[in-house]
Amino acid sequence: MGYKITKKENLSAIDFFMEVEAPHIARSWKVGQFVVLIPDEKGERVPMSVYYADDGRIGMFLRRHGITTFKLWYEFDVGDEILSITGPLGKPIDVKYYGNVVFVSDAVCAQAESYATLKAMKEVGNYTIAIQTFENAANVYPEKYLAKPVADEHYLTTEDGSVGIKGHYLDVLKELIEKDKVDIVFGGGKLGSLKKLAELTRPYGIPTIVTVRQIMVDGTGMCGSCRVLYDGEIKFACRDGPMMDAHKIDWDDAIKRNARFAEQEKIARERYLAKLREKGVI
Amino acid sequence: MARAKPKLIKERVPTPEVPVEERVRSFVEVNLGYDFASALKEAERCIQCPPEYAPCIKGCPVHINIPGFIRALRENPDNPDEAVKNALRVIWNDNTLPAVTGRVCPQEEQCEAPCVMGKVGEPINIGKLERFVADYARKHGIEEALLREFMGGNGGMKGKVAVVGSGPAGLTCAGELAKMGYKVTIFEALHKPGGVLIYGIPEFRLPKEILEKEIAKLRELGVEIKLDYIVGKTVTLEELLEEYDAVFIGTGAGTPKLLNIPGILLDRIYTANEFLTRINLMKAYLFPEYDEPIAIGKKTIVIGAGNTAMDAARSALRLGTEVTIAYRRGREDMTARIEEIQHAEEEGVKFEFFVNPVEFIGDENGKVKAVKFEKMRPLDERDSRGKRKIVGTGEYITLEADTVIIAIGLEPNRIISEEATGLKTNSDGTLVVDENLMTSIPGVFAGGDAIRGEATVILAMGDGKKAAKAIHNYIQAKKANA
Ligand SMILES: Cc1cc2nc3c(=O)[nH]c(=O)nc-3n(C[C@H](O)[C@H](O)[C@H](O)COP(=O)(O)OP(=O)(O)OC[C@H]3O[C@@H](n4cnc5c(N)ncnc54)[C@H](O)[C@@H]3O)c2cc1C
Ligand SMILES: Cc1cc2nc3c(=O)[nH]c(=O)nc-3n(C[C@H](O)[C@H](O)[C@H](O)COP(=O)(O)OP(=O)(O)OC[C@H]3O[C@@H](n4cnc5c(N)ncnc54)[C@H](O)[C@@H]3O)c2cc1C
Ligand code: SF4
Ligand code: FES
Repeated sequence: MGYKITKKENLSAIDFFMEVEAPHIARSWKVGQFVVLIPDEKGERVPMSVYYADDGRIGMFLRRHGITTFKLWYEFDVGDEILSITGPLGKPIDVKYYGNVVFVSDAVCAQAESYATLKAMKEVGNYTIAIQTFENAANVYPEKYLAKPVADEHYLTTEDGSVGIKGHYLDVLKELIEKDKVDIVFGGGKLGSLKKLAELTRPYGIPTIVTVRQIMVDGTGMCGSCRVLYDGEIKFACRDGPMMDAHKIDWDDAIKRNARFAEQEKIARERYLAKLREKGVI
Repeated sequence: MARAKPKLIKERVPTPEVPVEERVRSFVEVNLGYDFASALKEAERCIQCPPEYAPCIKGCPVHINIPGFIRALRENPDNPDEAVKNALRVIWNDNTLPAVTGRVCPQEEQCEAPCVMGKVGEPINIGKLERFVADYARKHGIEEALLREFMGGNGGMKGKVAVVGSGPAGLTCAGELAKMGYKVTIFEALHKPGGVLIYGIPEFRLPKEILEKEIAKLRELGVEIKLDYIVGKTVTLEELLEEYDAVFIGTGAGTPKLLNIPGILLDRIYTANEFLTRINLMKAYLFPEYDEPIAIGKKTIVIGAGNTAMDAARSALRLGTEVTIAYRRGREDMTARIEEIQHAEEEGVKFEFFVNPVEFIGDENGKVKAVKFEKMRPLDERDSRGKRKIVGTGEYITLEADTVIIAIGLEPNRIISEEATGLKTNSDGTLVVDENLMTSIPGVFAGGDAIRGEATVILAMGDGKKAAKAIHNYIQAKKANA
């Protein structure tokens, strides 16, 4: 048992790409759905967006965040097996003709989704626009991993202006909206930006569907860890999402809940980094 | 001349337990069970009611021949291996997971409730005897030999069956079908099999090692288990029906009910499922040795009074917090097993009765700091389940808590029913089945919590077994007509 890693590549100063053999998931995955993986016996279950599902394999972008993603980066190579990968989870998004479709992204999971979503949207005839934001030049992905090939218009921005347009996707999107060419916005990434995104598109009445990233355990609706307030009701991000109407989410609560284990995560991360230093790996 | 009547021994032979001081900081199993000598002594107390009358058999949801296994146990006092083998054979006829049921069944409401000995003294300790037989057999390699005896199989030639979910219902259904000669594949959503037994019930009540051994027996019978497989997502029910002759759905009741009151999103308010899954399945009690975190404060309130509440409370205690169980009804209405309630009390869990939560109060960082309750008053009237009705008094109390665990119940998830449109459900999400446990889709059967809402391990197993027979009849009839 186990699932073989078939490709692995560094993407930037903080993110990397990994492909895992998972035919059971690849055959049924649809845009908008995610997977949950566990590196090893002592590992935790972590949700991941899917960059592509192809030929029995799942491609993912991972950020070196904490213990799990560090482990995957430092201890697992092509040919090694991870303990578990489950999916596809969550609800697919409605892939159909909308007109001008924009995908905005400013963090790892959303960069993967940007490519996957726009590819599907372009196939059904939409005009596709990608706005991909990175913190700085060191974090920008190699060209082949950007959403460029599937976007009719592609904007790359860095928050410090070191590459591409200086600014955030919010700035570029605002201009596009003012030019009157946005029928629907999809997006994901930092929750704080998503809150601002919701506020930006709301007055224009532009439908805005985004990944509601929450801390998950099972990912199937069994534990209630990922609960959010949606239109005044409790919903589970894993089961009822993860892509949901940004205008209906209580973002302040969602942001707070996603920081629940900050103290524990720090302990785990520090301990792991100390171990790596001891071994001379870093 | 009148024969001397055997002397009735009124008191049970006790089973040793790990002392409270030792166990409240560890997840080791609390009850240590009988050894052969003490099991024999307890078995001797049984007056051997005739099987057609024996009330214990009637009280058991799967009608284990209880006097029969007890007799087998005492027939070979000088050969424990033989005694246990014979007793296990009797039990296995009706129940293939005795190491589990001997630990988690609410015996006091089932087999032990009507036991004749209970009229003159304490009922026979049937649960602990069952557990002894299972544990002894496992430790002494007796199961393997017996397993061969039970294998009537013909290498899966009778047909192929898919079982969805690896809880007690699915495991039992799979085991029974494998014994009859079917090729069985279990599909399980999680990365470990066992259902609630693995993710819900803590190690101090049901050691994982025992469960793993029980599941290994199934694999020996030829059952294949596909983990990380969600039926309705990874594979559809329709696809399963194309490949298999029949399907059994044993997906349980895994969706937690939440309290729809202010403050429910505050930090450190867990559902019992999240709390127990982090601890049991992911071993968060061993953090940071294991990666899964759990955040817990100094004062925990657990809301509810079933087994789930007791498990959550006692797990929290072991993580080093004070624990109070808050229940809106009275002590006599608690639904947990008596043994668990007693263990919780001994270990220092406190109880607040007749309080109903109305609000969670948070601090400036968004963490819970107190729970506001309305005080409740019992009425003389009883509801359909025989519980006294309660009404609010309009008086409130606030209890401090920096961690809250909600254990007010579960309902079935709708993963399969949402995907498979022909599958009929009741309003609470349970699947509609006929008297043969067949759902609204021909060839698809269901049992356990998926059809009952929340029930028990033994009822789920009973369903699994009943469904296995129905599946066998269904497939054979279909083949005969083909
Ligand atoms: C639907 C969804 C899709 C995601 N897609 C991606 C992706 O494509 N690439 C990627 O790198 N990350 C993705 N994430 C986040 C990813 O799950 C976390 O990065 C991962 O859990 C980090 O684990 P860690 O041990 O490395 O870091 P930690 O130090 O444990 O956590 C770092 C941060 O990750 C988040 N996080 C931690 N545990 C979980 C959890 N169990 N569930 C959700 N978030 C958690 C928290 O915000 C935390 O602050 C996604 C999350 C969700 C919910
Ligand atoms: C904490 C707790 C303590 C309990 N204590 C006791 C006790 O002491 N005694 C007692 O008798 N009862 C107890 N119960 C109740 C008992 O555990 C359940 O009644 C019993 O487990 C039900 O068995 P089941 O096989 O129907 O479902 P479950 O045990 O719930 O198993 C269902 C399985 O199906 C899987 N699944 C769900 N959906 C899918 C899908 N779409 N595809 C694939 N797999 C799927 C789940 O992951 C799970 O593994 C307790 C319950 C809880 C929660
Ligand atoms: S009712 Fe009690 S005494 Fe009678 S057979 Fe059953 S266990 Fe023995
Ligand atoms: S992750 Fe458990 S309910 Fe969503």
